[in-house]
Amino acid sequence: MIDLFSGQLLIAALVLAAIYGLVALGLNLIYGTMRLLNVAHGEILMLGGYLAYWTFTLTGVGPVWSMFLALALAGAFGAAVYRTLCRRVLRSSRLIEQIEANSLLLLFGVSIILQNAVALSFTATARAYPYLDDIVRIGTFQVTADRLVVLGIGLALSLAAILFFRLSATGLQIRALIQQPDAALLVGVDVERMRLIAFSLGFAIAGVAGCLISMLEQVSPFMGFPFTIAAFVVIILGGLGNLAGGLAGALVLAAIEVYGVALTTASMRSILIYGVFIAVLVWRPQGLFGGRSLVR
Amino acid sequence: MMKKFLTAIAAALAGSIAANAAEPVKIGFSESKTGLFAQAATSQYQAYNLWREQVNAAGGLDVAGTKRKVEFVSYDDQSNPGKAVQIYEKLITDDKVDLLLAPWGTSLHLAIVGVLERYKFPMVGNTAASVQLRKLKAANIWFPTSLFPDRQSDVLAALLKDRGVGSAALVTNQLPYTQENKSFVVPALKKAGIELVVNEDYPPNVKDLTALLTKVKNAKPDAVLAYTYPADAVLYMNGAREVGLDQKVQVVLLGPQYDFFGKIFGAARNGILTMGHWTPARKDWPSAKTFADAFKARWKTDPDFVDAPLAYVSVEILQQAVAKAGLDKDKLRETIAGTTFATINGPARFEGVMNVALPTMISQIQGGTQHIVWPPEERTAEAIAKPAWK
Repeated sequence: MIDLFSGQLLIAALVLAAIYGLVALGLNLIYGTMRLLNVAHGEILMLGGYLAYWTFTLTGVGPVWSMFLALALAGAFGAAVYRTLCRRVLRSSRLIEQIEANSLLLLFGVSIILQNAVALSFTATARAYPYLDDIVRIGTFQVTADRLVVLGIGLALSLAAILFFRLSATGLQIRALIQQPDAALLVGVDVERMRLIAFSLGFAIAGVAGCLISMLEQVSPFMGFPFTIAAFVVIILGGLGNLAGGLAGALVLAAIEVYGVALTTASMRSILIYGVFIAVLVWRPQGLFGGRSLVR
Repeated sequence: MMKKFLTAIAAALAGSIAANAAEPVKIGFSESKTGLFAQAATSQYQAYNLWREQVNAAGGLDVAGTKRKVEFVSYDDQSNPGKAVQIYEKLITDDKVDLLLAPWGTSLHLAIVGVLERYKFPMVGNTAASVQLRKLKAANIWFPTSLFPDRQSDVLAALLKDRGVGSAALVTNQLPYTQENKSFVVPALKKAGIELVVNEDYPPNVKDLTALLTKVKNAKPDAVLAYTYPADAVLYMNGAREVGLDQKVQVVLLGPQYDFFGKIFGAARNGILTMGHWTPARKDWPSAKTFADAFKARWKTDPDFVDAPLAYVSVEILQQAVAKAGLDKDKLRETIAGTTFATINGPARFEGVMNVALPTMISQIQGGTQHIVWPPEERTAEAIAKPAWK
């Protein structure tokens, strides 16, 4: 029988949760503030992965540093996508009626363009690089250093995000926009500006997540989509638009993935994940951690 | 006036003769540029293009004595067998290509067999390996590979037996090629008297294997067989190191053959056993090393040890057949079916659709490259015990 209380499983679950949490955070932010379903989220992550790969391969600078570059570039790219594409959709009275479906189509297009542009520029060959892959021994178990770094940065960024949305004026305005968009407008929140910030923050976080993931797995133009799917599962578990709930959702998904396999068999993984996912959709559509105020 | 007229006619004639001599040979194929196979299919495309550039640099393809430049006509099949069928139909009837190269992977090869048979258009396949192929009664397709799950399983079981393995754990990705291998390796291990102590499948989109590998560790097998695809091969390697799987015999099915694998794991992958029947280290295949070097110079990455050489072997066979038979389909079919070809993977000779000159082999990563370690008469190095993870 497998020891469920082993540190080995715990650390595996936490690392996975950190990745899922980070990926879902950006997606949730964009959905929460604008109801835009960003299916190109995984592709931004993929671009972050390539940035880390090329920076490391060409200059030897590791992802721990290039993630700041990814943050800035992905953020700028987010602002550009928002200004050129999404703002039009949000402003058009015809398109806003079914904003979720319309944004899905629009961003699906963006996702395909990005995948293929990268495949054409760099070929579809998988690429990878070695970085901080020494084994670290902690008590009775061991873990590779890169996974610890991912866990550390993931936790730090999540904490920073929580503080930002609880304490800073901008963060509070964005949360107001998520919870009560009409009231936020009435009390003078600069909706346009907050949307732009939220959108580019969402992209920036995805870029950073991509940098971190590139330490653990190979990058390829098609690596993003499974993460987009995982992120959707996470934010539905945690509650659409509920940022802290999303982090908890990531923990739940990672726990199902690691402890579910430990208790049953590995072939049950998808059945368990989507079983819980469907159960939540049916019995708690507001998410495991969503308050009633978020049900629309 | 008359003189001018004659000069013009002469010039036109000369022009048309020159144009005829220089008319390129059109070679068509479908490419999985996007979709599920895109990542895996890249090296096939790179091998094709390397060959085209080499042939053109040498003055062109020898078509029964006349040198003609090679020109590719290709379309993206989106990794979709249905699309591939349409593309090959179009290549034959609309683009009117002179020759065909293979698409990527077993499913696409199987899909286009019907088109090839209908138009009686011979094509040498490459990146397909399934026992289903052997049952094909087709006259226009051939498979140079020997990576067939049934024979591979027998050869692997023999190697494990030789390494003193009494028990094994098997973890298998739920995708077709690994599942087919599993279905043959389970009975092969049993026949060899090797006890299977763990036998679990995992889904392709898995993101962590810690729990599964902990079960493997607890079962204390002599050997671990990880039937992976490239993406989860990385998860296996990281997980096995962390969990501390110290087995001296570890097999990773798909992944170690690729350039990226070496980039991540470096020396940590030494001692990993894997599938493959090609290595630049074989002294009796001198062109193998030449190919590896040319590939690296052209694409700045090492060729993988499966798809790139197979793709290249298929164009080598076609090249030699065309030199002998020209472009006539019937003559070409006869020549491919009845000739022994010299390739970077040794001699190739077909009986039915299969290459009977190439035995099934097992390889191992040693000193950063892939060596053939089994069967003994084919090996370029003795199998080693997998060193401890660093």
